[in-house]
Amino acid sequence: MTTPVTQVRNKLADIEIGRYLPLYNQLTEEQRYAYKLLLPGLVMMFIIHFIPIMWGALISVMGVDSAYTSNWYEAPFVWFENYQYVLDPRTVIGSRFWYSIRQTIIFAVGTLVLTYVLGLTAALVLNQRFKGRFAARTLLLLPWVAPAVVTLLVWRMMLQQQSGIINSILLSTGIINEPIYWLIGDNAIWSLILVHSWTQFPLVMIMLYAGLQSIPEQLYEAASIDGAGRWQRFRYITFPQLKPVSAVVILLMMLWTMINFTSAFVLLGSQPPQAGQVSILYIYEFAFSNFQFGRGAAMSVVLFAIAMTMAMLYYKYLFDEDFTEESR
Amino acid sequence: MIPDELRLTEAGKEVLFGLLTKAALGCLLLYALFPIYWMILSSFRTRAEITAAEPSLLPFDRAEFTDILSDPTLILALLEYENYVTMWGRFPVFDYFVNSLIIATVTTVLALAVGCLGGYAFSRYRFPGKSAVGGALLGTQMIPGILILLPMFLLFIWVQETLSFPLIDTYHGIIFVYTTFTVPVAVWMLRGFFDSIPTAVEEAARVDGCSRFQALVRVVLPMAAPGIAATGMFVFLVAFNEVLFASVLAGGDVTPFAIGIQSFETQTTAYWGEMMAASTVATAPILILFVLFQKPIVEGLTEGSVKQ
Repeated sequence: MTTPVTQVRNKLADIEIGRYLPLYNQLTEEQRYAYKLLLPGLVMMFIIHFIPIMWGALISVMGVDSAYTSNWYEAPFVWFENYQYVLDPRTVIGSRFWYSIRQTIIFAVGTLVLTYVLGLTAALVLNQRFKGRFAARTLLLLPWVAPAVVTLLVWRMMLQQQSGIINSILLSTGIINEPIYWLIGDNAIWSLILVHSWTQFPLVMIMLYAGLQSIPEQLYEAASIDGAGRWQRFRYITFPQLKPVSAVVILLMMLWTMINFTSAFVLLGSQPPQAGQVSILYIYEFAFSNFQFGRGAAMSVVLFAIAMTMAMLYYKYLFDEDFTEESR
Repeated sequence: MIPDELRLTEAGKEVLFGLLTKAALGCLLLYALFPIYWMILSSFRTRAEITAAEPSLLPFDRAEFTDILSDPTLILALLEYENYVTMWGRFPVFDYFVNSLIIATVTTVLALAVGCLGGYAFSRYRFPGKSAVGGALLGTQMIPGILILLPMFLLFIWVQETLSFPLIDTYHGIIFVYTTFTVPVAVWMLRGFFDSIPTAVEEAARVDGCSRFQALVRVVLPMAAPGIAATGMFVFLVAFNEVLFASVLAGGDVTPFAIGIQSFETQTTAYWGEMMAASTVATAPILILFVLFQKPIVEGLTEGSVKQ
């Protein structure tokens, strides 16, 4: 008597993979085992990442619109017309798309600067010895742990023009005379940066904190013997030693902010102002309100290309700098 | 030049630096915690209190505080619980919670199962194409979701119509998508945790007659339990917070909390108090779990970025 499980197992064992994949025969038994362990993950990634991306590239050169939502394969090939259309600043769509890219870059750079300043300050404070340091670290991590959908709505409530607590505090302390529209008009992008940074700075903090902890104590001792002050120790030891971690942090924050959808979508509500429509939100609104999938896919590819180019330029810059430093 | 009398002594510098540190910490804590405090406070307030022109920053006024000092049980009597009662009837909040729990829990279990296998393979074996696969795993985190969502939406419609197998607005559709998105992160985090377990452990198990797979399941996985818990919590949070795919692929009966909670703000009225009550209910268990299990979570997060 064999159980169904062993039957299936025997069937699978009978398949001669080497016959279909000649390379398989060259692998050692251990390597084959490693691939078997990885297989489920790789298959899933192939289905949900690789296929849709290729498909997205495909429909970006096809005229898929509201007439072709259920039979996309019948849509005509328009080749680069979609790209021409969405990148042409003379059309309404094109100019709005360029504007959204501008806002995305402001969003990414603004968030990067704010989270880095906040995160570095917090990491340096936590690196001091004081009572309750562990509790402080826990509390400072909470903005990142609390579900973003929830905290973004709390910020939305706090930033309301009439009933929001932020305007109320600013008015009563006399900093402003008129209530500010935080979520409508041009201010939306600054509110977005402020709130998104609130959700992300703990991550920067904890990464930089781990970096600080790994700086060897002897470096500081040697510097103290040489008479270096607090500022000099920071300038000539801490900051250079943090460089590798900072590089990773900066790259991740830039990329993740550029492709972040949740913050703008939840904070700015159902009718996001133009200034707050970062590219990914603009593409979403554009593609699903008119079922313009071909053009939407073209915009997505452009956004992906911009994010990737920035990442690569940054990587190259890092590499070049390391290279020159080593050759010196 | 600064005159000598005004120059700080070494001791003075220490004191000043200590004060600056304290002040920075205070500001950061205020920035970090005020929204969470405000959420909890607002959830216990009536509509009129929330929309008041100058809302009080404290939960009670002076008279109430002096009363509470003399009799602490009064706190319970002075809070407004109304929101926690009425929120369930305003919108199907309970269904949103259940949907999110189902989606996020199943996603977590599946992503951990697949992620443990992959992470273990990465940690213990050398195989051709290892760095390429590792790069692809990280690369998936750099793809804008919308690039995948548009073709995926068409794919789901297509499968639904040609194979009559429902995918949009179903649990299995959104769970499949979320599992795949979280597997790369899970593999990456778990690999770090497996790296910290000495290989001697499995070798001993193999000598005792375990198969390779038994050694993994019976010996290595229990030792990696804190890391697996941390990864699980991370995956759960990602699935709980996702709105881009959920807003398109998970509507109707499977609407998760992340989308449903936004319905408390309608075109005409915003039910802030009830929204904050629902938010508090969603946030409290997560924050408590984090405070309890933060050590492995924090380690797992920093592992990949710092230890290279």
